[in-house]
Amino acid sequence: MSMNRRDLFKLATITAATTLAGTTAQASQKEENSPKLKAKSNGKRVVIIGGGFGGLAAAKYIRKDDSSIEVVVLEKNGIFMACPYSNTYLGEIEGVSLKRLTHDLYSGAKNHGYEIIQTTVTDIDRKSKVVSTTTGTVDYDILVLSPGIAYDYKGQFPKWSDEKIRDVSQNAPAAMIAGSEHLALKRMLEDMDGGNVIITKPDGKYRCPPAPFERASMIAHFMEKEEIPGKVIILNANESIAKGAAFKESWKEINKGKVEHRNNCDIQDVDMSKGTITYKQEVSEDKYKTVTEKFAVLNLIPKNVASPVTKMSGLKLNAWGGVHMNGASFQSKTDKNVYAIGDVVGHALPPSGQTANWTATMAAREIVAQLNGKKWKMSFPYRSANVCYSVVGADEAIMVTHDMSFNGKVIKGKGSVPKPKDGNGKFRSKGVAKLADAWFDGIMNDMFI
Amino acid sequence: MDRRDFIKLGVIGGAVVVSNPAALNNTLHAHDGRLFQSYNRVKLVDENSNAIKASKLAKEEAYIFNYPHVGTPNFLINLGKPAKRKVILKTQTGKEYLWSEGVGTFGAIVAYSGICSHQLMHPNKEMSVVSYVKNAEKTMACDRGGMIICAAHLSAFDPEEGGKNYAGPANEGLASIVLEHDEKTDELYAVGVLGPQRYQEYFASFKKQLKKDFGGKRKAKKLVKISAPVTTLSKYTKEVLKT
Repeated sequence: MSMNRRDLFKLATITAATTLAGTTAQASQKEENSPKLKAKSNGKRVVIIGGGFGGLAAAKYIRKDDSSIEVVVLEKNGIFMACPYSNTYLGEIEGVSLKRLTHDLYSGAKNHGYEIIQTTVTDIDRKSKVVSTTTGTVDYDILVLSPGIAYDYKGQFPKWSDEKIRDVSQNAPAAMIAGSEHLALKRMLEDMDGGNVIITKPDGKYRCPPAPFERASMIAHFMEKEEIPGKVIILNANESIAKGAAFKESWKEINKGKVEHRNNCDIQDVDMSKGTITYKQEVSEDKYKTVTEKFAVLNLIPKNVASPVTKMSGLKLNAWGGVHMNGASFQSKTDKNVYAIGDVVGHALPPSGQTANWTATMAAREIVAQLNGKKWKMSFPYRSANVCYSVVGADEAIMVTHDMSFNGKVIKGKGSVPKPKDGNGKFRSKGVAKLADAWFDGIMNDMFI
Repeated sequence: MDRRDFIKLGVIGGAVVVSNPAALNNTLHAHDGRLFQSYNRVKLVDENSNAIKASKLAKEEAYIFNYPHVGTPNFLINLGKPAKRKVILKTQTGKEYLWSEGVGTFGAIVAYSGICSHQLMHPNKEMSVVSYVKNAEKTMACDRGGMIICAAHLSAFDPEEGGKNYAGPANEGLASIVLEHDEKTDELYAVGVLGPQRYQEYFASFKKQLKKDFGGKRKAKKLVKISAPVTTLSKYTKEVLKT
């Protein structure tokens, strides 16, 4: 397709795209001029934005439940890469490879008869039920939002220029959205000969709460194995550590001082040319000290927000960008024809790969029911709807489980960190590491086969 | 279960009520064609190829036999008490089917697919994350024992109730293996599979392991004929992972 300068400008940044999407007249005119990705729906078409852990599972289970429903997945990436389990790749855990973390995006579509289109969404017009993308438009009967997260560098570092944000995001990659960032971080670890690796844990809701801590364990394991002098320092924006007791136990006993956790660190600035990070730490009530620390590798995880795709929908959102949900459901409160799954649900659920998968299977049932003029209701509590593992050593892991319940407003996950039977009183065990490995195969197969 | 009971395994609300025993040799089409399928009628035997006797199965021991395919493992359990009768189960898509009862003199013997209905975890020769947790044992997966559980994702299935999903992320029960018990000889036969079958996904998902365990996916897919050896889970696999 040909794009004029205005269109190109519109695509330049997502923020720009969302602000310009405002007027309906403009939007519908653009829709008319755009090529159609698909012929008009026959009345049973589900369009899913995002081909990740949520979107691909939703596509499969909708088709499995009712093969008369047409399903189209819009995905901007050309290859699938898993974020869950990817820290074991950084740690060079035996049996983990890039091949295991990646997959072509087409097999699920082939096996279950849905369509996947590689394109980037630029606008959602709920009035005419049309999604616009960089390559054309597609109309829907039901729309599912599964776009995942975005980084909020601007919100956390308002003084940083776009150029600086680009520099930091590429040379101190967050690696919470799978892809080049993970490979870059791995390269930096391979290249380092000594010094400290600094990981920053952001404030507020972010994807996969144990991830920064598991990453610390894995990088410390890698440094130990490679005999790299130095340690891993976690600069935590607050004091909370997901699976905290379990991580602290393994840092102490496995990593033996190679992982250092610092509380209440408010990141002030990063100097990429000097290789330093400066933070203000609350040492006691209203008492702060400013510290500048040198790093060999920096994994700066900025504040997370819901993908700006949720804003394009014009649905009622919470401050994080999550979609307001219609009670114990994955239907949006604003529009009965729009659903949300995965990271962007407005429920109080941990944003994890398995949560995305679980919300997808639930939403699939609701959507199939709706398109067949029926209702499907979830029953609570939902025990162990989320099970998630963190690998903490060469062959040991810890786990967390979440039971889901409905408190009258939102679905809430309640976590617990159990001690395994083979752990001899510890949180970690070899058996749990094997379960983690099996868990990963299970969820990957579930998406693609 | 005698032959007459076996015929009762129709699908509730479905068009099929089996009236002709001859039809048992073919696929019995529930309205979606999947909920009951007969396979080769095979005798359950021990490692010396002698028929196992139903009354000799140890109480609450998790036995394994592969059926209907060479590479698809199932649990065979003597619950030690009669299983519930006429349990209605629902598939993920809301289709209902009827699980009739356990077999053996007390109706205590049941068999279920060892392939978890959630994400197809199962016993392989190296390890098993799926196991039977005895009544007196505790499990992280749910509030009581007497369950088949998957330790990787913590789904629990009730063998007393047709393999119904009791807790965890699974959205449907385990497929059950339909058994016949010959009351005169006390021998057991597997004759078919009731409930949601996920074998094609299973074969596509675990190619590497199937190569190690059975010499390849194609060999694992072959249908079991004449007899199926029964062994205990702890002999079938090197390591049982329970949580």
